[in-house]
Amino acid sequence: MADFALLHRPALADAKSGSFGAPSTGARITLTALPEGHVMHVLASRGSGDLTALIPRIGDGASHAVRPYGPGQWFVIGDAPLAAAEIFAKTPLLEGKASISDQGHGRVRIGISGASVEAVLAKGTAVDLALSNFPVGHSAMTLIGHISALISRTGPESFELLVLRGFAESLWDELIQMSLEFGVDARTGK
Amino acid sequence: MASLIACPHCGPRPKEEFTVRGDAGITRPAPDAGEDAWYAYVYLRDNPRGRHKEHWHHTSGCRRWLVVERDTMTHAIYTVTDASAEGETA
Repeated sequence: MADFALLHRPALADAKSGSFGAPSTGARITLTALPEGHVMHVLASRGSGDLTALIPRIGDGASHAVRPYGPGQWFVIGDAPLAAAEIFAKTPLLEGKASISDQGHGRVRIGISGASVEAVLAKGTAVDLALSNFPVGHSAMTLIGHISALISRTGPESFELLVLRGFAESLWDELIQMSLEFGVDARTGK
Repeated sequence: MASLIACPHCGPRPKEEFTVRGDAGITRPAPDAGEDAWYAYVYLRDNPRGRHKEHWHHTSGCRRWLVVERDTMTHAIYTVTDASAEGETA
């Protein structure tokens, strides 16, 4: 018997919310705490070949659902929460060539957008985020400051960051700091 | 130390994303090779001046083991390959 009730609370529920920094209107940054839906970590089996065509089968069909970040490694992400049984039921779709690990409890998404979004993220990472080098749909696992995050481009001026749950609020605060010169609206959904 | 490592999977990344394991040139002795061979394998390392091959782990990127050939004096990087592509084991 548990001594206290466990509550599911979004990682960014108590994070800073509101408008901060410069009062500019042209290049403002918008930070959004995205729904904690499903995050599936997919790892290819040894010698399973190119699985690029196979992985989207377990996704929800939305654009950017599948985010590759290294040889044989993907995150498959969506807004709808999935029960453990629903994730387990997807395993046969991969024909034994890859395994799925539910990371929905462990990683959360932050949306960041605005005309100056590349300049803000460039303060934290060395990855070249220019549209020509980092097109829409591209993903990269990297460090933002000292925090490991998966950066995915979802539009010409918008990115999503996937970060370990325990680091989410710290990264959120850092992103606000990094955006102050342009002005930032932080939306936790409260 | 070299500041940019050209990961074959991720492109150029700063060294802070990597963890250095050390010399990639040593081979694991046979289980019955004797105490001296195992002592040397576990503890003894050269400290070369010049070209050196090392295992680097792209910890904050693709999480792959790489073989980085670099110059310990000039900090130049010559080659970076995936460790599995080289058939390197240790």
